Amino acid sequence: MMQPDLIPALDPNPLPAPYWVFKLLLLVTFFLHIIAMNFMLGGGVLALVLKWRSGKGRGDDQMFLDVAKKLPVFLPATITLGVAPLLFVQVLYGQFLYTSSIIMAWPWFLVLVFVTLAYYGFYYVSYRGGRERSRTGGVLLLSVILVFIVGFLFTNNLTLSQVPARWAGKYFSSPQGWSLNLSEPTLLPRYLHFFISAVAVGGLLLVFLALARWKRDNAYARQLLRFGGRSFMYATMAQFIVGIAFLLSLPRGLRMLFMGESLWATVLLLIGIAASIGAIVLMSQALRKENVRAAAFQVPALLAVVIGSMCLMRDILRDAYLKPYFQPAQFAVSTQGSVLLLFLALFLAGVLLWGVMLKRFFAGGVVYQQQSSR
Amino acid sequence: MNYPVWEVGFGAGFLIAAVAILHVFVSHFAVGGGLFLVLTEQRARRQNDVPLLDWLKAHTKFFVLVTVVFGAVSGVGIWFTIGLIGPTATSNLIHAYVWGWAIEWVFFFVEITAALLYLYGWDKLDARLHAWYGWIYFVAAFASMVIINGIITFMLTSGGWIKTRQFWQGFFNPTYFPSLAFRFVIALALAGIYGLITASVQKEPGLKARLVRWSAWGVVPALAVLPVLGWWYIRAIPADIWASARGPIPTATHYALSAVILLGVTFLLAMLAFLRPGRMHLVFSLAVALVALGAMGSFEFVREAIRKPYVISKYLYANSLYAAKIPGDGGFSVDEVNDAGILKVAKWIQRRDPAKDGPVAVGREIFRVECESCHTADAYRGIKHYLVLRQWDQNELLAMLGSLDLMHNGVMPPFVGTDAERAALASYLITLRPVSVTSAAATDGKTIFDQNCSMCHRLKAGQPLFKSLARDPVTASKALKDLTSVSPLMPDVRLPEPQRIALAEWVNTQRAGSAAAGGSQK
Repeated sequence: MMQPDLIPALDPNPLPAPYWVFKLLLLVTFFLHIIAMNFMLGGGVLALVLKWRSGKGRGDDQMFLDVAKKLPVFLPATITLGVAPLLFVQVLYGQFLYTSSIIMAWPWFLVLVFVTLAYYGFYYVSYRGGRERSRTGGVLLLSVILVFIVGFLFTNNLTLSQVPARWAGKYFSSPQGWSLNLSEPTLLPRYLHFFISAVAVGGLLLVFLALARWKRDNAYARQLLRFGGRSFMYATMAQFIVGIAFLLSLPRGLRMLFMGESLWATVLLLIGIAASIGAIVLMSQALRKENVRAAAFQVPALLAVVIGSMCLMRDILRDAYLKPYFQPAQFAVSTQGSVLLLFLALFLAGVLLWGVMLKRFFAGGVVYQQQSSR
Repeated sequence: MNYPVWEVGFGAGFLIAAVAILHVFVSHFAVGGGLFLVLTEQRARRQNDVPLLDWLKAHTKFFVLVTVVFGAVSGVGIWFTIGLIGPTATSNLIHAYVWGWAIEWVFFFVEITAALLYLYGWDKLDARLHAWYGWIYFVAAFASMVIINGIITFMLTSGGWIKTRQFWQGFFNPTYFPSLAFRFVIALALAGIYGLITASVQKEPGLKARLVRWSAWGVVPALAVLPVLGWWYIRAIPADIWASARGPIPTATHYALSAVILLGVTFLLAMLAFLRPGRMHLVFSLAVALVALGAMGSFEFVREAIRKPYVISKYLYANSLYAAKIPGDGGFSVDEVNDAGILKVAKWIQRRDPAKDGPVAVGREIFRVECESCHTADAYRGIKHYLVLRQWDQNELLAMLGSLDLMHNGVMPPFVGTDAERAALASYLITLRPVSVTSAAATDGKTIFDQNCSMCHRLKAGQPLFKSLARDPVTASKALKDLTSVSPLMPDVRLPEPQRIALAEWVNTQRAGSAAAGGSQK
């Protein structure tokens, strides 16, 4: 079955910087992308829950609007922060990703259509949320479903890119690009692992909102804290089941990497588990004591450790899958020094400017806050 | 051949064109519209013009919904699409220009943030701070154009990069500056055109008239200087590349014509807007936008058409074949594939043995890897259409396939592979010819010329056809009997004698000075 010669050859251009530079950029930007994605998708799911529960007089409507109005910011953040890892993953793993994308070309192309529609849906809900209640629920549901599908397609493509042995069968049975990777045993647990992590981080979004409103509207902020904190805890607990299912679904050789065979992978897994447990304990204490600062600072700090270790494990897993076909040494390297320096300088300047832009914006008065709770 | 080919029934090239044209129409607006926003805000603040500010606020929302949503997603969409249809070119562009893309991403990130803060800042920020976000937006948007323009023009005129492989040599290539100026002015015009749309839905006629005039003032001067910049752009394109826009290849010529006409219509419509600015209807403003979209699309089609047969000039053909053998090309250069055979080299084909699988099935595979990046069987650039037009039989088709790179001023890559593979391709392609077409030999010279010669030969004084073909039809007919002896580059097409004579007689009527041609004798 295996046809190693099916794997596309690299193009003649050398890497314009050492391998590790791209790996580092890929990991860092993917980490940021996944956080933005979690806020967007998790926020969307929780907004949907709040919409569904609303009308029972628990401030759900207000929470719903509060969250829904943030979605049109988190979706572009997800896309913008997603462009960079998409670029860097193509630099290193293009041979695999282009091929798997072509095999599932139409679904992959439809990602664009779905994202656009979901995006307009989020804007609709954010602008009309307070007014036409009957329709916002439906539009939000549709948008969230579309984002679900997009995530599912990403999981399909990324898993397919790691199993070249499956390519030929799929491509030749549908060169029109109507395949998916549904036979992949890790597909569902992997997808759920990402999805539930989004719900947990979405919970933190409400915690942050609680922090911002703590002094001005304490009763409401406590509601936000409660709902957000609980969502975070329950979702993170569920991750233990889904995470174990994901681990068990891996091929034995790869699973064992995380269970002692590779020290680095095993330590990362343990760090991830320990930090998750720590985050749950901290959150439950913060909820009991209504300590919004602990919930909004300590828990996210631990969660960042969790997500960071998960991103690293994901990378280890990919390289383990691709080990028979891919070696970093395959790349010739010829560093484009001047352009690389220019990029680094502009990148730093861009991050600084970005910080200044946000700082000046939020220092610029409270008119917007009043508007948004109108 | 290195990557699998995505079979898009209606044409892969069409899909790229659709995504790209919609994207550029919005992304250029994103640049020019940014300047439009800050300048309009400046004017409104200085004159304390509250209605203008209110309109601008609504226009900002429209701007963000169009550019930040559709513009950004469709920009990513181009990446998705070219990765699906031209993975080899994409891979090359990524590896050679990743730092350019990364720099562009920094600008993109700043741009999107500034746009959203500018939008949300209308109700929150004081005037100076708000304008500050507007300027940051515009500068970042322009900077991203500065970067992308380098990579797009590199694909058309690769400059010194081919020899040196230096980033900046390809980036600041011969068409870099004219293209940047051209696109920036288009961006300014589009800012006004989109302004007309939101202006046209205003109710109050006085305000509407002011808004329409203000927006039209963005369009008219920009379109007036565009032809000059276009001329500069064309002058910067090396003659051998530009030649294909004027030759017998219809695509570039047709689109160049339609770009000029539609541009003129856009200009006239924008002038018309001045006549009754207070009564401008939404439909009118949308019509202006639609015509402008047509003009913009035509321009991009011309650029892509004259770039052919390459996707990266002088380096990579549109069908992912390297023009010359280079280290690391994976064996996918013209010479290497000619030596080894496409059926040996191509990775993503199943039927490799004409004897076992039959020549038609094998030819179908060759068609997929060598032709489908641009052609389809019977839809966009469909082979069926050409076969009806030319009336070739299998032998002629086979002969013509040997000279693909000479046809239409060299718009196509050469066929690569062995003679047996070429025969297999011909035996597949001939199955696309409708049964109704029977090669009843044409008898009039013009038709014979159109079907057999017009792909390469042009009817202009001084062309080899006129110079080397004898005037006496019988002598000429003898020479035409074996074309490969006339020139080894010519296809081995063998016409029967009556056809050859009819052809030679007709060619005589086209010579400069002959009565039928109506030209003057030099």
